[in-house]
Amino acid sequence: MYLNSLKKTVGAALVATLAFGMPAFAEYPEKPITLVIPFGAGGSHDLNARIITSTIPTHLGQAMIVRLTPGAGGQKGTQEVASAAADGYTLLFAHNYTDMLQQHVENLPYDPMADFVPIARVNYAPIAVVVRGDSDYASFTDLVESAKANPGEIDLAHSGNWGALFVPAAQVMKETGAQFNLVPFQGGGPAMQALLSGDAEVTMGFPSVLGPLIDSGKVRVLATAGPERIYDDVPTFGETGIVGDIGFMHRVVLAPAGTPPEVIEKLEASFTALQEDKSFQRLMSRMGENTDLLLGADYQKLRDEQSDAYKVLVDSITQ
Amino acid sequence: MIEQFAEGALMAFRFDTLMMIAIGLFSGMLVGALPGFTTLMAMAILLPLSFFLDPLVGIPFLLGVYKGGIFGGSIPAILVSMPGTGAAVATSIDGYKLTQKGESRKALDMALFSSVIGDTFSDVFTILMIFPIALLVMQFGPPELFAVLLMSLVIIVATSGSNPLKGLVMMLFGLWLAQIGTDPIGGVERFTFGIFELKSGIPLLPMLIGVFALPELVYAVMRNERASGFAKLVGERLTKAEFKRCIPTIRRSTLIGTAIGIVPGLGQVVAAMMGYSAAKNASSNPETFGDGEVEGVAAAEAANNAVNGPTLVPLLTLGIPGDNVTAILLGAFVAQGLRPGPQLFEEQGTIVFAILVAMVLANLMFIVIGYLSIPFFARIVTIKTGLLVPIVIMFAFAGAYVFRSDTTDVLMLVGFGLFGLLARAAKFDVMPMVMGFILGGPLEYAFGQTVAMAGNNPLGFVLTERFGMVAVLIATPIIGFLLWRRMKTATT
Repeated sequence: MYLNSLKKTVGAALVATLAFGMPAFAEYPEKPITLVIPFGAGGSHDLNARIITSTIPTHLGQAMIVRLTPGAGGQKGTQEVASAAADGYTLLFAHNYTDMLQQHVENLPYDPMADFVPIARVNYAPIAVVVRGDSDYASFTDLVESAKANPGEIDLAHSGNWGALFVPAAQVMKETGAQFNLVPFQGGGPAMQALLSGDAEVTMGFPSVLGPLIDSGKVRVLATAGPERIYDDVPTFGETGIVGDIGFMHRVVLAPAGTPPEVIEKLEASFTALQEDKSFQRLMSRMGENTDLLLGADYQKLRDEQSDAYKVLVDSITQ
Repeated sequence: MIEQFAEGALMAFRFDTLMMIAIGLFSGMLVGALPGFTTLMAMAILLPLSFFLDPLVGIPFLLGVYKGGIFGGSIPAILVSMPGTGAAVATSIDGYKLTQKGESRKALDMALFSSVIGDTFSDVFTILMIFPIALLVMQFGPPELFAVLLMSLVIIVATSGSNPLKGLVMMLFGLWLAQIGTDPIGGVERFTFGIFELKSGIPLLPMLIGVFALPELVYAVMRNERASGFAKLVGERLTKAEFKRCIPTIRRSTLIGTAIGIVPGLGQVVAAMMGYSAAKNASSNPETFGDGEVEGVAAAEAANNAVNGPTLVPLLTLGIPGDNVTAILLGAFVAQGLRPGPQLFEEQGTIVFAILVAMVLANLMFIVIGYLSIPFFARIVTIKTGLLVPIVIMFAFAGAYVFRSDTTDVLMLVGFGLFGLLARAAKFDVMPMVMGFILGGPLEYAFGQTVAMAGNNPLGFVLTERFGMVAVLIATPIIGFLLWRRMKTATT
């Protein structure tokens, strides 16, 4: 028994040595993969990544390790992956706003289009426009009309400039002509607290965190992103005339450009298998997240559109 | 409700629950003691483990890691003057002095007892008063946070020592350092000179290790004590009399910490400093503070641990995580199918009470685990200087690097080390600088939010809608002046 396992270990060690000697024949992945998250601990990316990395090893045959590298609004971690070897052992777990929007706001030390290829969009989260349960705004149209009539009077709490709540708010303002007073908070949690305590009249939030607040009547949802209804009695952006990829946070795994095709294939296959994984699905659904996979090439089309749309948006705000 | 509570309390007494709490406490303490590794990281890494455990095992386990980690942070702060977090800075002031006097065991004992008492009280208070606290939390917005932060800074300077002017200079320098990097609201780069590494600002950990630990290492080498390390002895354990003497301080700090925990966004750093300043100010011999006063350790530790209870309130009553630790706990709750929110207690009351009771049990267990571990930790300082100094240097550099995996941080560490030496030579206390740096970011952010909320009419907004802010702002100079005068008469 022990002898057997010893033989196996020696055998594995030999294989490993040979593999190192002949990288051309080595099969990826032969060592753990690092997943860099350019945000802080405890955020939604961190929690999503913990679910991914605790379930993907079965399909990948290797461990995946989370490394949090927050700083400069996500640029620090992103730059680290951009300059890492394109061998598939260092990947980035980001979202569309850091990925495609920042390039239009400031000069980045990397070029997101040229330096990265998307591997998989793991899931996405649609935004919801939220007011307090006792708010005077009965509907989304009501809110928009009021914001048009009193430009800059209605406080909208968001989670930081150019972040996941700010951008949808700015896009809604641009599409409808409404003018909100945008007040930043350090994260979605504090923004929601500001809404509940009366420091803001409107905020945005993801359905994954809204459930108990809606059920208890503390907040009401006026509209949700996308063309399909999430709540039976709440209209969508599509129904109110806001169309396109507005109000979706896509959580996406990216690799440095130049990563070998067979490596990308293996990663895509692993993420595809992961979507079918029962415990992955169970954990994600408990978190209130979907498991709607988009593979690299399909997501790249979305990326191109995002980049164009964000450029127009940024230009309209900053000029 | 009471039935649920009784049922839940009984559920918490499970062997596997208690076992995992113990494991969590011990591993949290070890991780917390390593500079560069934060409790937050440990919790994030261990979170997936809780996904696959019973809720009454997984969540208490994470809470154990959290509580163990906070105490763990005070171990290097006391033994080698290396606070790994802002919350441990106040502990290191007197804690390290006690180590140098050969009384490290006493300092660690005091830290343990006062943190457990502060934590237990605030947990019990939170469990009993959870709904009133939830209402109170709602009274604080960015304007009030700004005013309270400003008042904290004034109190820190006023009680900083014999020369408040020097303290003020250092604090302003710290506030300036906090400005470096990308402006958190407008996104404008400030004082970065186009250097990308400076864009995310100056990291806290290299500053802490640099200004507090590196100068001590240099001094230890200069003293050239061949026979022993930082201290010859580990000393006696804490005596009953000493503990009794500190009870009023622990009580005061616990109240301060709990109150600060209710204000969203203030946190452990402010609590520890306010607890420490208050104890120093109330003492009849304030000059002993900073010179190895065991009361100073008690004041800081009781206060920073008492923050923990109330910070859970927004999470439990609204499902809103106020900081990253509670965000991880939220993840652990929802992965177990528990949805924190207004109906949590109605729908899942029993199990939530069980978790809260387990949290209190964790504190009690920690007294035993901590008390038994302290002699081993305390011994570290008696290692020969020739061995201890290189080991501590290694941990200092590794800790500064590992936090963000960035080599720039190692340069920062050396820079702050040199600065610490210079400041000491010129008899400037670095503490107000560090506090200015830590609180500068939140202060500026809260100010920016207040301005944003005010829209076009800041003055009208503040005067008509924010009476609390105005009251605190008016009280601040008065309190600052009174504290300064009292310190002056007490020390001369």
